[in-house]
Amino acid sequence: MSDHQGFRPTPSFGAPMTNAIEMRGVSKRFGPVIANDDVSFAVKKGEIHAIVGENGAGKTTLMNILFGLYHPDTGEIIINGEKVEVDSPRRAISLGLGMVHQHFKLVPSLTAADNVFLGIEKTRNGLIDHAAQIAQTREFSEKFGLSVDPEAIVANLSVGIEQRIEILKVLVRGAEVVILDEPTAVLTPQESRELFRTLRGFTDQGMTVIFISHHLSEVMAVSDTVTVLRDGKVVGTRPTAELGEDDLVRMMVGRNVSFSRRKRPRTDGERILSLKSIWARDNRGLPALQDVSFDVHGGEIVGIVGVDGNGQTELAEVISGLRHVSHGEIVLHGQKIQDGDPRLVRHAGLAHVPADRLHRGVDKADTISGNILMGRQDEAPWSSRGVINWRYVRERTEELIKRFDIRANGSRTLVKTLSGGNMQKVVLAREFSRAMPFLLVDQPTRGVDIGAMEGIHDEIMRQRNEGAAVLLISVQLDEIMTLADRILVMFAGTIAGEVDADTATEDEIGMLMAGRNLSAAAAPTVNEAS
Amino acid sequence: MSEQSETRELTPAKAPVAMPEWLHSLLGTLLAISIALLGGAVIAIMVGESPFHVFMTLLRGAFGGPDRIAGSLLQSTPIIISGIAACIAFRGGLFNIGVEGQLYMGGFAAAWVGFSFVLPAPLHLTLGIAAAIAAGALWILIPAFFRARYGTNEVVSTILSNYVAILLTSYFTIFVFKRPGGWSETAPISTTAELPQLFEFSRLNWGLFIGVALAVGLHMFLTRTTAGYSMCAMGSNPKFAEYGGVPIRRNVFLILLCSGAVGGLAGGVETLGVHHRFMEGFAPGFGFDGVIAALLANGHPILTIFTALFFGALRAGSLLMEVETNASRELITVVQAFIILAVSAQLLVRRRRDSQAGERRWKY
Repeated sequence: MSDHQGFRPTPSFGAPMTNAIEMRGVSKRFGPVIANDDVSFAVKKGEIHAIVGENGAGKTTLMNILFGLYHPDTGEIIINGEKVEVDSPRRAISLGLGMVHQHFKLVPSLTAADNVFLGIEKTRNGLIDHAAQIAQTREFSEKFGLSVDPEAIVANLSVGIEQRIEILKVLVRGAEVVILDEPTAVLTPQESRELFRTLRGFTDQGMTVIFISHHLSEVMAVSDTVTVLRDGKVVGTRPTAELGEDDLVRMMVGRNVSFSRRKRPRTDGERILSLKSIWARDNRGLPALQDVSFDVHGGEIVGIVGVDGNGQTELAEVISGLRHVSHGEIVLHGQKIQDGDPRLVRHAGLAHVPADRLHRGVDKADTISGNILMGRQDEAPWSSRGVINWRYVRERTEELIKRFDIRANGSRTLVKTLSGGNMQKVVLAREFSRAMPFLLVDQPTRGVDIGAMEGIHDEIMRQRNEGAAVLLISVQLDEIMTLADRILVMFAGTIAGEVDADTATEDEIGMLMAGRNLSAAAAPTVNEAS
Repeated sequence: MSEQSETRELTPAKAPVAMPEWLHSLLGTLLAISIALLGGAVIAIMVGESPFHVFMTLLRGAFGGPDRIAGSLLQSTPIIISGIAACIAFRGGLFNIGVEGQLYMGGFAAAWVGFSFVLPAPLHLTLGIAAAIAAGALWILIPAFFRARYGTNEVVSTILSNYVAILLTSYFTIFVFKRPGGWSETAPISTTAELPQLFEFSRLNWGLFIGVALAVGLHMFLTRTTAGYSMCAMGSNPKFAEYGGVPIRRNVFLILLCSGAVGGLAGGVETLGVHHRFMEGFAPGFGFDGVIAALLANGHPILTIFTALFFGALRAGSLLMEVETNASRELITVVQAFIILAVSAQLLVRRRRDSQAGERRWKY
């Protein structure tokens, strides 16, 4: 990363008593990797403090240290002006900290109230006092504006409500400082806005909020102060009001990155993929796709957006032959493909960048060349008469490593030693080098840093301009807005609407994502938290 | 409560020392064997023997002279072949714990061909081996089918099939084909079906070369061929292989069938090469030892030869140890058990370390 001159860390030394949290000189190493390098920052009492940075910048590690999940190698933590040793989450809780993790830790079969009091049950005569738990859950939920039915079973609740229960858990344990790790990753824009109102309510009551995010717009909208991390170091702590969104991006990556819409030539390709009234079930046997129909033409990018778990996963699986279709017809490049056979679909002309990179996209235990080979091990000149031509495989792999700028030590490097971004480049290198008429690209930049993201977007645009039909599935709205020609919004297993990417607004899409224009209220919610 | 278990999961190990993967792995294996020998030493002391004396006798029994070395190789042969059978399944991400049963079935089938037919020498031997292979494959057919078709756990079904095989061959031997006046054994096979011996002084036979050839062949298959590549990808990450167009179900079935066939071959080699008849309980635990040898070698066929040799030497050495010391041959079983414990503990530790240093950091 290039040096960044414009900003310097600004640890606040004045009036120590106003700081709810201060971390000084905190460092943490994992083997050869420095996750946090001499990190110092302070959080004022009663503010909303955002910690931003790219993936791998050290945000989560830092918060895990603060919450006692990791022990720092050096450095100290000062809470309310007192130096403390946070050696366990238990200790952190007793110091008035509370953390809402990115992945919820709730028991689906219990009620909201039981989950809130899990581990600190209210008892009477040795038995759980459900009435008291329910009453107190209700009291807290009213006090903080977190509307939750204490008696509802968690399995039946939406992700947004599950998050509220997680927050209630923290509040009931007496938190004065609430830490949230990527709280909006699973929420609709509307739910996010509601969450932010709640967080504002916390600070009005004198509490302090720290939240981790890499969604700049929400950081701008809701935080009082921002601390930016890059490569494990603090780039700066500044009042949000003094910053623009571009300033933040500059701080995060050390250079300007454009999020503007890509320019594109008009293309009129033939129809490559066509879905006609597709129905499919999810792993639990519940309907996941309901009457989904659309076409993708050569030379266009069709974007699919939706809150995670509204059928996008199943859609990708159905198209790639990994999931059985209950009804309907899929035609790819003139061939029917709904038999649920990935090999057939690949031969028909699919290149697939799967969302689940670690489990579907790569074999971490194998080398880069072993990963590049997958899917064409039966094709000449990759192999002949059942014997793999490893020399050819390695040569092609070296070429692709160069072309896709994979940071690795040659084709024999084990994939598990690569960073997330470079792993993704291995997947892209394999799939995009196949020159297939149809590309299914699912969450291509999830967990990838902004620098690598641009390269990936360039590559997707190049494929489109060369005439490939691209179906791009992403939870990142700005990614879809940057790349897509047409946008399809999924909600509850259906296509809730189609918008033109040139004219669409985020609000319009947000409404569709939340299912607002659906008249059928009976549409079942699909995949609460898969 | 939940917070506490979380701490346990997330607290990272003390900064791991940077060392090459293979060295780490080798040190781990050596540590496992040392711990096992230490455990064995404790037992030796408990039965009133000097551990040093016991282990020296063990070594002498395994390697003290050409006939002893041949004896060790003789004991190793069925373990190598069984180990290869287990390797085939492991590398495809499957577990064949039924090698013992396949070995019994293969052994019986080979003996039956050996004593029932009159045929010229090369043909008779070939037919006997073919029968052993077919019997082994047949014996895993049901577990393989249910695993491939319905996803039934093959560990359970193959373990259970062991008992049926052992008792069924025992029934055949005692009630159907018993040699009049003899032990619980069948009539001897005709010499045309015998696997030739290598030396005058030992029953060591060509089976050893069959085992080594199988190991080398499997290694080449796995590293050079497309089918081997697909199989390894399946074993290492089935979702990835499925995504890449590898026909998982068909392969699961074929891999288990091959594994069972080789398990049957192990038994055939044992009856045709060593005993020249089928005896009840003729091969106690060879199949299980093979599975453990393959596990210790992490499914690597060439390494499996060496782990199998180690187990074979332990077995051969224990014969002399039993004669010359107070320690019984069960001591060796105890040492093996310690090795298994130490190795699985090591795997557990490694998995924890990986998950903490790797996945946690690059979360998304």
